[in-house]
Amino acid sequence: MSAVSGSGVDVEVPERGNFRGMSDLRLVARQVGFEQLSFWLNPIGALMTIAFSVVFLILLGATAGTTTVKSYGGIKLLDYYVAGFCGYGVMAACFTILAITLVNRREMGLLKRVRLSPLPTWMLMGAIIVNAMIVAALGVVLLLVVGRLGYGVNGPAHWGPFVVTVLVAMVCYSALGVGISTLVPNADAAGPMVSLTFFILVALSGLWFPIAPGSGLATFANFFPIRHLIDALVGSFGQRGAPYWPWRDLGVMLIWGAAGIAVGLRRWSWSPRRG
Amino acid sequence: MPAVSVEHLAKSYGETVAVRDVSFEVQRGEVFALLGPNGAGKTTTVEILEGFRTRSGGRVETLGVDPADRATQRWLRNRIGVVLQELAIEPYYSVRQVLTRNAGYYPNPRPVDEVIELIGLAEKADDRVKHLSGGQQRRLDVGLGIVGNPDLLFLDEPTTGLDPSGRRETWDLIHRLAGAGTTVLLTTHYMDEVEALADQAAVLFGQEIVASGTPASIGGRDLGAVTIRFRLPDGVTPSELPVAGVPVGDGLVEIHTEDELRVLHDLTGWALAGGYALAGLSVLRVSLEDIYLGLTRSGDPGEPGT
Repeated sequence: MSAVSGSGVDVEVPERGNFRGMSDLRLVARQVGFEQLSFWLNPIGALMTIAFSVVFLILLGATAGTTTVKSYGGIKLLDYYVAGFCGYGVMAACFTILAITLVNRREMGLLKRVRLSPLPTWMLMGAIIVNAMIVAALGVVLLLVVGRLGYGVNGPAHWGPFVVTVLVAMVCYSALGVGISTLVPNADAAGPMVSLTFFILVALSGLWFPIAPGSGLATFANFFPIRHLIDALVGSFGQRGAPYWPWRDLGVMLIWGAAGIAVGLRRWSWSPRRG
Repeated sequence: MPAVSVEHLAKSYGETVAVRDVSFEVQRGEVFALLGPNGAGKTTTVEILEGFRTRSGGRVETLGVDPADRATQRWLRNRIGVVLQELAIEPYYSVRQVLTRNAGYYPNPRPVDEVIELIGLAEKADDRVKHLSGGQQRRLDVGLGIVGNPDLLFLDEPTTGLDPSGRRETWDLIHRLAGAGTTVLLTTHYMDEVEALADQAAVLFGQEIVASGTPASIGGRDLGAVTIRFRLPDGVTPSELPVAGVPVGDGLVEIHTEDELRVLHDLTGWALAGGYALAGLSVLRVSLEDIYLGLTRSGDPGEPGT
């Protein structure tokens, strides 16, 4: 509050506006730190989020041998799995865990409590999403290391498109995570609803088994964003030297991300629903 | 300038009326209790004052600003503390971690160690929240409400679900905060809580205020009939008393009157003249609970609020 002197009387005038420059950015970084702390203080949850995709890679990688995938230009099946599970890891952290976390916080009244504190909404949501992105990035790095050390997979041939795809996927799936969290009526329903959606989308993506382009299933799966994520990531593992930018896949993901934001904005609630 | 000023506040959700024509003021440094049954509109009123909900009508000022004005909302939230009706604390943080995190949201927070001391959790400071008892979690919840060093503290049913010692500890904490100059607005449906804590109170019923004043005078409590009770002197029968009394057992007699001064004068004059002792002489006013039940039992409670 600033003091204004008029006619010899001090009048307290409330400060207006909600952005405080660098001090706010430091507050975001601090909040991200506490989000990370909260995530790692629950080691089982943290391990499950990151370890699932690694375990799947190890199990499926052990059976892949020297098989190649014709529908992806003869890429090795091991490369396909490493690229695919990178997508799986991003989706697990930014979609599934984010959505379940938001529903649980809403239903516990935690969102309401933060809403009543001076922490602005954009800082809270920014910190939650950046936290999910850090977890997703850790998962991707771990998968690339396991692929390299365990199966001799060199990693992406096109690092630029790979990194951009991962970043766009983080944004897209975080937005979808926020969106679906608003459709879940209570904490009990969060796990089943979000996980079921996740596993259906993954099954349609062709991650467990490559889907031939042009098939009916591929046409149907192309409607959903996970198929485009897998395609874009697998493409970045393709032939070196050949120009590669998955613009269409990135575009589809961004459209889905925009849909997630639209649903989130329309249905967002700070109070428990307990429906 | 009052800490809170409410004039003709109204809130509706479609056809459902949650609050209608509510007016009251809370002065700075005062403990103000909003009393009422479930669904009377207490929480809705408080949430509007906090800026969490918008109102449908009327005028509201919290610490001199309109809580619905987004431009001053952050300023306002820097200066208020809120303790919600239900516990809302992350289970994996330690007591110190969760208080430190929230302290960082405010420009002028209380030192975390001071808050831990105030809420009596010094020995549990490094324990995780999930390992605290219900009462300890509730105290931590209050700690989160005061860590920002608020000018105005909202307590929404702060002792619901606590055992008697937990309630007493929370009351002591509220007393200390009020003693240090913090304005407190609390909602409750416990009469003893109002009598123990509040300087002023208002009863919300049927989504509107039906009585307000100090706990001692609310609803005409200080003006109505009183009960004068004493032990009948040995060798005296009730018919010998200067005022008609009713034996209520165990040698006690009660006199119900709206003219307590005259009755006491007659009674004590008679006792002094006759050399009688009126053991256990007491004047009992109608209880706050009686007043409250009288206010909230009669009439149509209207549509439920939240």
